[in-house]
Formats: sequence, C-alpha cells, structure tokens
Amino acid sequence: MECSFGITGKGYTIIASDSNAARSIVKMKTDEDKQKVLSDHLVMTYSGESGDTLQFSEYIERNLRLYGIRNHVELRPRAAASWIRAQIADSLRTRNAYQVNLLLGGFDLPTSEPALYWVDYLGTLATVPFAAHGYGAFFALSTLDRYHRPDMSLEEGLDLLRRCINELKTRFIVDLGTFKVRVVDREGVREVKL
Amino acid sequence: MLGLQPGSSTVVPTSAPVGHRFEPYDSNGGSIAAVCGKDFCIIASDTRQSTGYSIQTRYKPKVFRLNDKATLATNGFAADAEAMVSRIRQRLEWYRHSHGRSMPLHAIARMISTILYGKRFFPYYVYNILGGLDEEGKGAVYSFDPVGSYEREFCRAAGAAQSLIQPFLDNQIMFKNQHSTPEHTVPKPGEMSLPDVLKIVMDSFTSATERHIEVGDGLEMFVVRTPPSAQGEAIGAASVDLKAMGGVEAVGGEDEQEEGAVMVIRRELKKD
Amino acid sequence: MSDITTLNGGSCIAFKGKNCVAIACDLRLGNQALTVACNRDKVFKITDKTYLGMTGLASDVDTLRSAFRYRLNMYRMKEEREIEPETFAHLVSSTLYEKRFGPYFIEPIIAGLNSNNEPFIAAADLIGCLNFAKDFVVTGTASDKLFGMAEGLWEPDLGPEELFESISQALLGALERDALSGWGAIVRVITPDKVIERTLQSRQD
Repeated sequence: MECSFGITGKGYTIIASDSNAARSIVKMKTDEDKQKVLSDHLVMTYSGESGDTLQFSEYIERNLRLYGIRNHVELRPRAAASWIRAQIADSLRTRNAYQVNLLLGGFDLPTSEPALYWVDYLGTLATVPFAAHGYGAFFALSTLDRYHRPDMSLEEGLDLLRRCINELKTRFIVDLGTFKVRVVDREGVREVKL
Repeated sequence: MLGLQPGSSTVVPTSAPVGHRFEPYDSNGGSIAAVCGKDFCIIASDTRQSTGYSIQTRYKPKVFRLNDKATLATNGFAADAEAMVSRIRQRLEWYRHSHGRSMPLHAIARMISTILYGKRFFPYYVYNILGGLDEEGKGAVYSFDPVGSYEREFCRAAGAAQSLIQPFLDNQIMFKNQHSTPEHTVPKPGEMSLPDVLKIVMDSFTSATERHIEVGDGLEMFVVRTPPSAQGEAIGAASVDLKAMGGVEAVGGEDEQEEGAVMVIRRELKKD
Repeated sequence: MSDITTLNGGSCIAFKGKNCVAIACDLRLGNQALTVACNRDKVFKITDKTYLGMTGLASDVDTLRSAFRYRLNMYRMKEEREIEPETFAHLVSSTLYEKRFGPYFIEPIIAGLNSNNEPFIAAADLIGCLNFAKDFVVTGTASDKLFGMAEGLWEPDLGPEELFESISQALLGALERDALSGWGAIVRVITPDKVIERTLQSRQD
C-alpha cells in the first residue's frame, strides 16, 4: 500500500512519498519519513520489505557519504543511480535479496538538468520525466501522462503532484494520509508542505 | 497371496486404485486465413493435421464449402470441427427445404455464433473463419472465437501460425503503417485484385511453413466469387482464369453448384 | 504471469542486406501490463560498425551492458584493435554460458560489418547458443510476430534505404500485435561509411 511519486520540471525534481508505517492491517505510525537525502542534490524514496528498506537505504546513504568524504566531490545523480542499481542487481542473485523499490530525484549541477530515476527491486533502472511506485502508479501515471510538461514551473509541478494525490484520495480505498515532499534544485534539497 | 503373512496382523495392500481421466480435447495444429476483395473472397488453410510432435496426416482439409456463397475454415480440435461442420450443413439443408434458397452469409454467421454459444459450457474447441459473398455480392470475412463471439472483417488469420500471419496481413492487406506519397497512393483495404491477394496468401503460408513446425504439407485456397457464367461478360474477379492457375471446382455443400462459383487452388508446401 | 523473461517486454530485430545491416528495437519498458517508460533503447553500440540488441529482463540487460563494456575495453587494450562482430558474438556467447546454471534472462542479437565490410548478424539464447543466420534474426516478446513479418518481407541484397524500409515495416507490424512491445522504435542501418539512425513513431497503446 506504499506509494511514492517523482516529477521533474524546469530546473527541479519533486520527490514525494506517503508517511504511513503499516504492519499487516495496522497503521503503526503516520509520520514516517521514507526518504533519504543522499547528498546536496540527491534524494531517494524507498519502499518495499520493511527490514530491507532501512538496511539498504542506510547502506546506500553511508557509502555515498563515504565517497563524498574520500573524494571531496559527490557522485552525480546518474553515477549514483547506476551504483545503487548495481547494488540491487548484485543482491538479486543472492540467497536474500533486498526487496526495495526506489525513486532517485536529483539535480545535476554540471548540466543544470533535473534528474529522476525509477529503480525496482530487480535492479531495473529507468530514466524518466515522472515516476510512481506502488498502487499509486496505476492511479497517477495517466494523470501524469496527460498533464506533465518538461518545462513546468515549480508551482505547476506541485499542482500536478496535488492532482495525483487527490486522485488517490478519491479513488484508492486506502487512506495514505499526508505526503512528505522534497524538492531538489540548484539550491539543494528542501522540504515543502503541500 | 492376499498380503497377509502368517503370524502378522498388518495388511499390506497389493494393489492401488488406478485413476483414468478422459481428456475430451486435443489440439491438431495447422493454420487458416481468409481475405476478401470487392467481389471475391479467398479462404485458405494448410492441410497438415498433427498432435504434439506427431503428424497424423499430410492431407486433411480444414476448409469446407457450404454453398455457392459461403465457405468455412476451421482450426483447433479436428474432431469438434468435423462434428460442428456437419451440424452447420444440416441446418443449412433444413433452411433450404423451408425457404427454397440458400442461407445468406450474414445469417450463416449469426447461426454459427448461436451454435457455438449453445455449447458455451462444453465448447467446440474450434476457431472459425467464414468467408464468402454477402447479399450485395461483396466479399466478406467473418471470424469467430470458440464460444461464438464474431466480427466482420477484411482479413483474418487463425490457428497455430496466427501470430506469424496476422501481422503480415495487417501490413499487406490492411496497409497498416503504409502512407501515401505524391508518387504512390496506398489503396484502401479490400480493394486488391484476386491474383494479388492470392499471391499474398501463398506467401503467408510459405512463410508460416518455414517458421512453424505445425504448418506445412499442402495449401488449399478456396475462391468464392460471382460465377463467370452469371455475368454477360466476365468482369472483376470473375474474369480471372483460375483454371489456368490449377483451380478446380470445389465440392461439398447442400446446394446445386454453379460452375466457377467456388473453386479451389491447391499448392504444395514444405513437408519438413 | 510472473515470467521474468516477459516481465519488462520489448523486442529486437536485425536484417542482413547488401554491404549493410540493420538492427532495430522498440522503446517500451514495462512492469507486466504497466508501462513504466517509453524511452528504453535496447540496442547498444559496441564498435563503430557493430551493435548489440538485448531483450528480456531489463535489469540483466543493464548488468550485461556494463559487463560487455568491461570485456570490450580489456580486449581493446590487449589487442590494440577493434573487435570483429563475429568475435564479439563469441564473447557474448561465452559470457552468457559462464552463468549456465543461473542464467541472465536475456536474448541478444548482434549486427555489424566486419573489417572487410561484410555484413554479419547473429542471435543467441539466454545461455549463449549462437545462431549465425544469413537473412534475419529476431528476439523479444514479439518474436513470433517478427518471424512472420520478416519471413514475408525480407529479401536478399537490399540496399541501405530498402533495408530500412523493410525492417521498419517488419518491426512496426509486429509491435502492433504485441501488447508488451511498442511505444516507438529506433532503427539503425550500418553501412561501410556511416550509421543511419532513425526514430520511428508508432501507436501509443
């Protein structure tokens, strides 16, 4: 029932994820942050098997931090995405693979381009203008197909995200509560309220 | 010995019940296709009948002449097809006795649909394609699923090599993905001449034979058209000399046949 | 259902021509019936005149792409020359066979011109059994449809433009009858002096 979205626009990427922590049919927590800020210009949402998500996302977070400390430069979004994908792909052929689905939203300073990557637990990496994981994908992708433009302003981008979340509120049986939203642009990562 | 040992109290079973289940269906391979033109229709099939990797026969017709204006191609389970065709023929004969004329094509199509749906819960495992001429004398193709859902079309392939033949027909008969240019106009679907359609049908089956193990041995192409004798001077499809292409009168059906109305052209296909 | 070779969908085809070869693929990346992206090129440049197409599990396509990049760089450094398409086909085969009992779920096709500018195409199954065809090779979820189209449209000794037209028609025809492939296509025609790359528009359903 977890759900996350990513939308790129003119000079920014929006990343959003629901904030429910559920065990079976029970809602344990409604203010869970299912995102990790991996560097100044990179955010990751994670969903999937609950133990795996935290273990994996912290592994990614610490290793990218280590890379930054060692090399005095952060990995660019594309490079980070490739490395993260490789970690999932390597784990896939082990006895207990990480069952995590990710969205990576970033801003690539050298090219001044926003970046968004869709990664699933099989290690499938897709470069996309907008993305969704979980049941939300079935509800929101058609809305995103219809209204997304690559040159959208931030306000238009957030409006589009609101439309998607509103679609879930009206048509999805589960109440996903509030969404945690972060924006990545030239200035870095910041949280925004919808 | 009944499995009882002297001094032992345990019963050792000596036989277990053997279960047999009747499998009412088989799949007999092969492929069928039909294409219609302005004033004709071609209904074709290969003649191989197989089960699994075994070829039962290299010549088993799957296309049946119903009357001067209707021909039916069947594919799937041959025994069901045979039973179904005899039921259809019987119904066509009854129709002639009570109405004094052959059943028109659109009525045959609806009748086949109801016959198939009548066995909705123990279906004839048969994919049908009905080809012929409608009441205006135009070529027509009706395709069916095994439980009677049907549709009139310009062309249709079914059977083992449906996935090989249908996209080819989409391209060559429906002109899909072809666009007109100032130098070359793409014709509308269903306006191709009889000899051109025959060539495409033959190519479809030679291609399918090349790449599908269940297709091959022989090809039968039934041509339904307004018979040349019915016209003052032969025009359109009627003017094509099918006899020169090896065409012979098709037999079967409940009506008295008019010469040249339904002819069949046979060709060899690879036998490996 | 839950077959990982058809999970992501996608198809590739290669035609041999006269002094040229063509290789083409669709652009869809899906997750069962859900389309995730429509910019997924499945054909990769190996050398200036050799291209590799891979269909199957998208994750393994990515993994193998970097595996081949590594092996090709090693080959270039050791041999100080570019790899021949036929040699590359054997490299693909042995790379796949290394994982004989836990395979990568992809089926590759290779198209290229060798150093004498002779056309070469090949295909392999997921464990690297090579097929050196003299006419065309196909792979992916629309492979049966591609076989039907190619068997009907291919003819020997086509020039670059005719080859482009027939491979495009073969691919587009097959894509329209496959629910797991489509959303556009890319065709590359490799000739001795240039590679003609064209993106095709196709139905968006």
